[in-house]
Amino acid sequence: MNSKSSFPEDRVLWQDFLAGEVRAFEKLMSDNFRLLFRYGSKFSKDRELVKDSIQDLFMILWEKRDNLSPDAAVKPYLMASLRRLMHRQVSSRTWVGGEALQDEDDYFEIEFSVEDDYIRNEATNTRTLQLQKLLNALPRRQKEVVYLKFFQELSRDQIAEVMAVSPQTVSNLLQIAIRHLKAHWKAEFLIFFLLHFLF
Amino acid sequence: MDRYNDFSVEDFVWDDFFRQWTLSPTPETDALWDDWIDANPEMLEKVEQAKAIVLSLRLHEPEIGDAEINQVVKQTLGRITEAGDESARTSRRLIPAFSIPWMQFAASVALIVLLGWAVYSVTIRPDEKPQLGQQNGMIEHSDALTEKINSSSQTIEIALADGSKISLAPKGRIRYPEQFDGERREVFLEGEAFFDIAKDTDHPFLVYANGLVTKVLGTSFRIKAYGDSREVTVEVKTGKVAVFAQSDPHLKEKVADKQLQGVVLTPNQKIIYARNEVKMVKTLVEKPEMVVSKAEIPQFEFEDTPASDVFNTIARAYGIDIIYDEALLKDCPLTAHLDNQTLHDKLNIICKAVESSYEIVDGQVIIHSKGCRN
Repeated sequence: MNSKSSFPEDRVLWQDFLAGEVRAFEKLMSDNFRLLFRYGSKFSKDRELVKDSIQDLFMILWEKRDNLSPDAAVKPYLMASLRRLMHRQVSSRTWVGGEALQDEDDYFEIEFSVEDDYIRNEATNTRTLQLQKLLNALPRRQKEVVYLKFFQELSRDQIAEVMAVSPQTVSNLLQIAIRHLKAHWKAEFLIFFLLHFLF
Repeated sequence: MDRYNDFSVEDFVWDDFFRQWTLSPTPETDALWDDWIDANPEMLEKVEQAKAIVLSLRLHEPEIGDAEINQVVKQTLGRITEAGDESARTSRRLIPAFSIPWMQFAASVALIVLLGWAVYSVTIRPDEKPQLGQQNGMIEHSDALTEKINSSSQTIEIALADGSKISLAPKGRIRYPEQFDGERREVFLEGEAFFDIAKDTDHPFLVYANGLVTKVLGTSFRIKAYGDSREVTVEVKTGKVAVFAQSDPHLKEKVADKQLQGVVLTPNQKIIYARNEVKMVKTLVEKPEMVVSKAEIPQFEFEDTPASDVFNTIARAYGIDIIYDEALLKDCPLTAHLDNQTLHDKLNIICKAVESSYEIVDGQVIIHSKGCRN
């Protein structure tokens, strides 16, 4: 299944980048920097390391631009490349004996928070807090899938590309995560309500 | 929308379409959901609760300032242009002109201009880019345009010189030349209109609307480009339509080319163009209609038919792509009568029967299935 980028602007920019246009390099990097920074921060808490990695990423892409596919879907491609690069960096540092940045190269840290401006009643508030707790407790890979799907709005194929797994694995992970969230959430909510009304 | 009738709060929170409406509502999705809630008032509380949850649940993201980003980008740019000098040295062998001092001076001037332009383009936000007004200027000078504004409460019909017909919705405004005598037929729209364009492959027909250019050779389609909406949508009824942003760096070629370039839409597809983000999302129209002639409409009556065949029949009738895993679905037999349902209802029923789900990505239907092994 070939998911082409749905954003023609991105595609034009990418092709100009591959053609060696410095202006396109600058725009591509500026446009995607915040997204990549946020994504990269899930793998390391060290801001400078994340910034350096993004810089390295763009320099590597620029050097090998003659060999890159002009049809790549830009955003997932950049995210996937950054993910690989950072995993390599983190594991090589560990290997050299330098300070390991995080214990595992499968570290993925995100924290969901609740903005209560939108919440007008107690029941909704409780529900949201429970969901937040469940989300934060999800296993790493499920968390990453939920993050990419609902907070980065990537498609299934794009997520598969970013995480270097098959689209079917993405569907499975997502399904397990959502099912888990729905089931536990309902259960906890019911218990809360029973306790609330009985005592 | 019927599939939402037995949704729980949890279901809504994780539903793509619901989230899309909650996080970035458009006049269309607002209308659709409001209608549905009016028809199902008992769902209002659930919807309100799910909405509050979706809106309040945030990801704690680390922040980085524009200045900080700019600094890293500039630094990287410095490094690649340094490296670029080396490759310039190799090309010097081919083009000796670059070794002449004044050429180097010219190159420095060019670099400064380029950097200045780069800073300009970074600081200017996309919504401040020249909009329709300036773009029209050049065309309007050469030729006075006729303007029609529909201030009535009903759609008005406008016949163009080339035989094309435009149905202009109330509050719509359209400008067009009395005679089309250039290489292209060009009109300007604000608001909503349905176009039925006479075929003339030598003279492409272009509609400019809120920063989006729609180009056709002969076809029918609807454009919604309300001045107060941040989105422009184009829905195709028949034929093929190409769309691209007016800010497209290759605008000139795309306008001039006899072929259709850009994002090409086929019947039942629809594009949503978000003006401020300069991004386009391809999807299906709300109520897809069959594209085959009445006589060719197939029977949607299936008796132990493999689900893959069923999807093929539907894809052909509606002229859309349905993507599924052939190996998994050919073993899923289906018995169903689907003559009177809409496309979405048909898909919902089939998916329920073979334990699958579907989503619409890039104007195509994608079936997610784990197969049937029973």
